[in-house]
Amino acid sequence: MESYQLLHFPPHLSCVHAALYTNVSDSDSLRKRLVAASTAEGPAGERERDAVNFSFIEARLITSVKHLRTAVYQAVLAETQGALRTKTVHSEIIWALNPTNNISEAMRRYGVSDTSTALVVVRVCGPDLSTETVERDMDAVVKGTKVPFTELQQLTDWAAVKKYHKLGGEAAIRDAKDDIEHEHAIVDGIVVSSVAMKSVSG
Amino acid sequence: MPFPNRASSSLNSIIHPTDLPAPMPGRLRQTPLKNPDRPYLAIGLEGSANKFGAGVIKHLEDGSTSVLSNVRHTYITPPGEGFQPRDTALHHREWALKVINECLDKANVSMHDVDCICFTKGPGMGAPLQSVALIARTLSLLFNKPLIGVNHCVGHIEMGRDVTGAQNPVVLYVSGGNTQVIAYSRQCYRIFGETLDIAVGNCLDRFARVIDLSNDPAPGYNIEQEAKKGKRLLPLPYATKGMDVSFSGILTAVEAYTFDKRFRKDGQPKDANDQDIITPADLCFSLQETIYAMLVEITERAMAHIGSKEILIVGGVGCNERLQEMMRIMAEEREGKVFAMDERFCIDNGIMIAQAGLLSFRMGFETPLAKSTTTQRFRTDEVHVSWRA
Amino acid sequence: MTSASLDLILASTLISQGAEAKVYKAKLSSDPSDSEILLKHRFRKGYRHPTLDGSLTRARVAGEARALLKCLRAGVNVPGVRMVDAAEGVLGIEWIHGQSVRKLLPGGAGEDEDASGDSEPEAADALREYDIPVDALMQLIGQEIAKMHLADVIHGDLTTSNMMLRHPSSFKSRHPTLSTELVLIDFGLSFHSSLVEDKAVDLYVLERAFSSTHPDSEPLFASVLRAYEQRMGKDWAAIGRRLEDVRMRGRKRSMVG
Repeated sequence: MESYQLLHFPPHLSCVHAALYTNVSDSDSLRKRLVAASTAEGPAGERERDAVNFSFIEARLITSVKHLRTAVYQAVLAETQGALRTKTVHSEIIWALNPTNNISEAMRRYGVSDTSTALVVVRVCGPDLSTETVERDMDAVVKGTKVPFTELQQLTDWAAVKKYHKLGGEAAIRDAKDDIEHEHAIVDGIVVSSVAMKSVSG
Repeated sequence: MPFPNRASSSLNSIIHPTDLPAPMPGRLRQTPLKNPDRPYLAIGLEGSANKFGAGVIKHLEDGSTSVLSNVRHTYITPPGEGFQPRDTALHHREWALKVINECLDKANVSMHDVDCICFTKGPGMGAPLQSVALIARTLSLLFNKPLIGVNHCVGHIEMGRDVTGAQNPVVLYVSGGNTQVIAYSRQCYRIFGETLDIAVGNCLDRFARVIDLSNDPAPGYNIEQEAKKGKRLLPLPYATKGMDVSFSGILTAVEAYTFDKRFRKDGQPKDANDQDIITPADLCFSLQETIYAMLVEITERAMAHIGSKEILIVGGVGCNERLQEMMRIMAEEREGKVFAMDERFCIDNGIMIAQAGLLSFRMGFETPLAKSTTTQRFRTDEVHVSWRA
Repeated sequence: MTSASLDLILASTLISQGAEAKVYKAKLSSDPSDSEILLKHRFRKGYRHPTLDGSLTRARVAGEARALLKCLRAGVNVPGVRMVDAAEGVLGIEWIHGQSVRKLLPGGAGEDEDASGDSEPEAADALREYDIPVDALMQLIGQEIAKMHLADVIHGDLTTSNMMLRHPSSFKSRHPTLSTELVLIDFGLSFHSSLVEDKAVDLYVLERAFSSTHPDSEPLFASVLRAYEQRMGKDWAAIGRRLEDVRMRGRKRSMVG
């Protein structure tokens, strides 16, 4: 798991913990659990929501660590401004990743789905929650192999990324077509910028 | 050679930030203008728009200037009407003698005493310009005095520099016919930014007509008074494009509000429930806030590019107190200084023509009778500013 | 109420201040591997009505970010967008390690008053560091502007100060003979237009900037235009003709007084 601080945000939003899991085997039950938790009532419901209080992201659509961090930053920024479009900062990260303003589309594409085999799990919290606690809670929710973020490169589904961001016909991609590594760098550059400016994309 | 390099000056008329030299503290070059060996007197005649003005200026041996008189008469049209060239020319012809005589009386000089007769060569409305040039030529022949054709905009700038003592300001020239941001560089008043369509004063005048404001003393003045009562800022296009501005779209948009169903021509709600209304005062307020913000913005951009801390506002719209206030706030934020003038010198007048004309006369410039024509189009940057370093 | 973006600015290093904005070097997180970014803060203008100021600032931050993304999608080398807080007037973009073209060409290094007259050897030395012949640099400029114009983005303030070369140490080139890349920066005055006039004026502004900053710049700019022409293809003819017109009249039309 990677942890870093967002230095200029209020304390309760200043710590970000993120981990990458591959070989995830229980994504269908995880998805069902998230749906159930969102409507569960009483103290048991609170406890359950707390247990799954993470952002579960489809890892094959993440092009780089920068891509992920940019979405996290813009989501936390929206939270400090009282400008969330979704219910929580964790769902906001998923909204920020999707190029359109359609919330259910964002969840379907970038959230956990029944077929997800690799997930990025993110928790935004205050320093009162220790790194160990967060990591233990993450491991308790996701059944999979935790791997370093350097593995992300092997997981990215570039065709899907290009499709969702409608990059197929763009001049930048045409120019780079003979060099796959370069093409990926170009796509990542566009995707990161798109996420960063989503709030003003009009 | 009245305007050297005219052929090439159109090529140089674009001004890009990098054309302008960086400020050079401690490197002020010697001015080419020597102090006069005796006092010089000039009379200036101005009539490029709806004011006819005459003034006498004196340049003294110690380099100082003295305004001996400054007389003006304005052609005022009924509300809802602008001034037509033909009627304006007629006004100037009718009032010329009275104004010139009064100006000489107040200065306590006779036409025999003056060294030169300065008149507005352009830019401006054709017929009024011609009528004043004719008067100047007649006086020149009658009293055997040299003629000096003066660029109206340069007149504003030189008078502004003299009255305020601004050394090397960025000049915002705003009037019924002109909207320019100007900076001096290498013996030329270069146009840094300007309107791409109508002048700011023209925009104000035409809107005053739309809402039937009086033209007395000036439509812009009445818009300013009305704007003080405005409360509601209505969205209008904000049209700056790089260094330039555009007003025609704003005029269309503010006019459109007068057809809005919320518009109340008398400024009063119909009844107690009639809250969501737009009044003429709101429109004047919104118009002023928007167009003056645009002007301040391009002025600030010019200041930043050439590194100047001084601003000089000239031209009839320069009298507007809200514009002056906004400019002052901008200047304070940049630790700069605004030089503005009152209506005596801001609004078109004869003395500014005398001032700019006498400066070039002292540099040896004269306009031969055969070349004493007028021109409606005469760019500020076409003038060779020989009297500055 | 304080704002996260203003706190971020307070903790950042001021690089420069223009009429529109202050520019900072900043970091968004505590992670040392996170790269630095450039923050452009369009600060509040006291002279403007607060409502007008707010909407204008938001619109301009959005406009600049959109122009950058448009360029990126069109394959124009520009800084990537890193964060946007339109309400506070803050735009965060990629930090470009390198040098402005202005400083790499003869005449441009003497920007500061105290610089001595012998700036040319300095510029030549600097170019050697980037391992690029002047003519190749001019071609890069022409190509990038052409790519931008093909995407109907007008820069609005093309000068050699608004172009940078990436430092070879921070850039992995795919090109066999080039170890750098030209990046267009500062889209604060940019706008969208497909008009031949706007593209011609964009070029003319650059031509003027060349001639006023760099001595004997005519062959340099001619080389820029050749590369531009090549990249523009059939679009060039009309723009080239219009550029001739613009040169004749200057950018502005003559005006009635």
